[in-house]
Amino acid sequence: MSDRMKIFLLLAPAMFIIVVLFFGGLLTGLMRSFNYMPVIGLTDPDLSAYVSVFTDREFYLSFLLTFHIAFTSTVISSILAIGAALLLRRSFVGRGIVNFLFQINLTVPHLVGAIGILYLFSQSGSFARLAAEFNMIQSPSDFPALVFDPYAIGIILQYVWKEVPFIGVIVLANMQSVGEDYESVARSLGASKWQTFRHVLLPLIFPGVLSASVMVFAFTFGAYEIPAILGANFPAALPVLAYRKYTDVDLAARPEAMAMAIVIALLSAVMIYFYLRYSRRRIRG
Amino acid sequence: MTHVSIKELTKVYPGATEPSLDRLSLEIPTGELTALLGPSGCGKTTTMKMIAGLLEPTSGDVTFDGRSVLKDKPEDRGVVMVFQNYLLFPYMSVADNVGFGLKMRKVDPVEIKRRVGEMLELVKLPDLGDRKPSALSGGQQQRVALARALIVQPNVLLLDEPLSNLDAHLRFEMRDLIRSLQQEMGITTIFVTHDQEEAVVLADRVALILDGRMKQYDLPDAFYKRPVDEATARFFGGHNFVPGTSDGCRFDSPLGKLTLPEGAATGQGKLTFRPENVRIAPEAAGQNTLNAVIADIIYLGTQTRLKLRVGETEVDAIMNPNEVETFSVGDTLPIYLPISTLWVIR
Repeated sequence: MSDRMKIFLLLAPAMFIIVVLFFGGLLTGLMRSFNYMPVIGLTDPDLSAYVSVFTDREFYLSFLLTFHIAFTSTVISSILAIGAALLLRRSFVGRGIVNFLFQINLTVPHLVGAIGILYLFSQSGSFARLAAEFNMIQSPSDFPALVFDPYAIGIILQYVWKEVPFIGVIVLANMQSVGEDYESVARSLGASKWQTFRHVLLPLIFPGVLSASVMVFAFTFGAYEIPAILGANFPAALPVLAYRKYTDVDLAARPEAMAMAIVIALLSAVMIYFYLRYSRRRIRG
Repeated sequence: MTHVSIKELTKVYPGATEPSLDRLSLEIPTGELTALLGPSGCGKTTTMKMIAGLLEPTSGDVTFDGRSVLKDKPEDRGVVMVFQNYLLFPYMSVADNVGFGLKMRKVDPVEIKRRVGEMLELVKLPDLGDRKPSALSGGQQQRVALARALIVQPNVLLLDEPLSNLDAHLRFEMRDLIRSLQQEMGITTIFVTHDQEEAVVLADRVALILDGRMKQYDLPDAFYKRPVDEATARFFGGHNFVPGTSDGCRFDSPLGKLTLPEGAATGQGKLTFRPENVRIAPEAAGQNTLNAVIADIIYLGTQTRLKLRVGETEVDAIMNPNEVETFSVGDTLPIYLPISTLWVIR
């Protein structure tokens, strides 16, 4: 058997899953978004689903909210993760334990984290009750709305809590492979600590930060469960909106759900493209 | 123009039982080029990092012109270190690498551009400013690293194994470049190396460090002519050590009574002489002439190494290949040890 054949056969199982499930699903979704669904007698494709998506004001509000959630979560998580990695790469007593604690919530599912946020931060949650108990507020319901709130603070909190260790682990590995010698060079050439970080360490670890944060952005932009549990009813995040349409009693809403899903995918791709372009030029220029 | 003085400098790394550097003291006069020589792991790079402020000493002091700099931040010391693997910033062009130090000092970009151009001219790489470091050869990368260091006009320049990553033909070119730039700018320069040849070729003065302690701090030729002990002599390629007793004039040993130069040490000790100073005795045999038997001949191209036996004592000699062409193993060779080349180690 030739090498080429071997490579093809070895890759086949993975490729099968990717092609059939991913592109198959995408294709089905695409067809349905164009109102093409022969099973129920829809055989004349049109753009009506897209038209109704783009003429709906709620869609734009949802898009803004979803972008806000994804962007804010990604930026905050990345900054905190870089800070954490800077501390964790130093040697200090108990570093092993701190490192372990830092990574431990990587094993906790998102849903569990969301419920934790709900118990702790909602207006009937532990913090609200504690604050009332210590007379910082009059009653638990005076606690600021951090869950089901219009600014999606609860959602962002949950994402940050979950994604900081994820980005942090990648960045830490990156920093360790870069080593500290480049920073020594920069210091001896007259760079201050901050300048060394900004002009030397950050550009060196940037590829790692970038790929980790792109993953986080794509995930938080397209994820359904966290905004479904912790988000306000209106506007809802795009995936929540799409799911609602999909499960609508009116079957005619389904193409709209599909159109929305396709738009979510396209928007993610476009935003990631610009994010990569822009940030690469900013940091390395 | 900076006189660097190192006093009792000691470094014990956390968790280590032995110090990596043990009470090193050194005076480096303004504008001199000094080598810290020693095998890997002897504390040379540790010393450099402490001078640069990149590492804190356990005890001791570093002063520039009499003022302690230990409290100064690395960026305020006026010390620039060039690392062995150059460490050019890979994402920057050559010109940006060279201009880095000026940019950090917030020098006007037009001025930076002008001085980078001058500096690249000086290290003979005038047309490579736009390239990325990965597109340069090792020798070119090193010159860029040197330019990046010199552009900030440091008071003290530290070089880590400056010649060891270079091919033989580049070494002399680089040596000449470093020496001429250093002389021209009058920068007090310290470099570390494990290679005695590199130290001798480049330095005004050499400090030999073995096992974290300074053995000898001297002019380069002193390590060949007047080593302080056997370890020092061996580090510089010494092979001949004959035990015996000196009375100041003559050395009584298994080789017989040999005449010593004036001022030789007295008492129990070891006589040492360089293999390259062993000569074939002239017809009229005189003082310090011995009969040796050739045990082995090793041809090294430009020279020939002879393993000789004088009685029970082995003697190493290096000679011109033409001189010994006609001899073969087992022959008797009359040898002569010039008085001025003998040295007694106590």
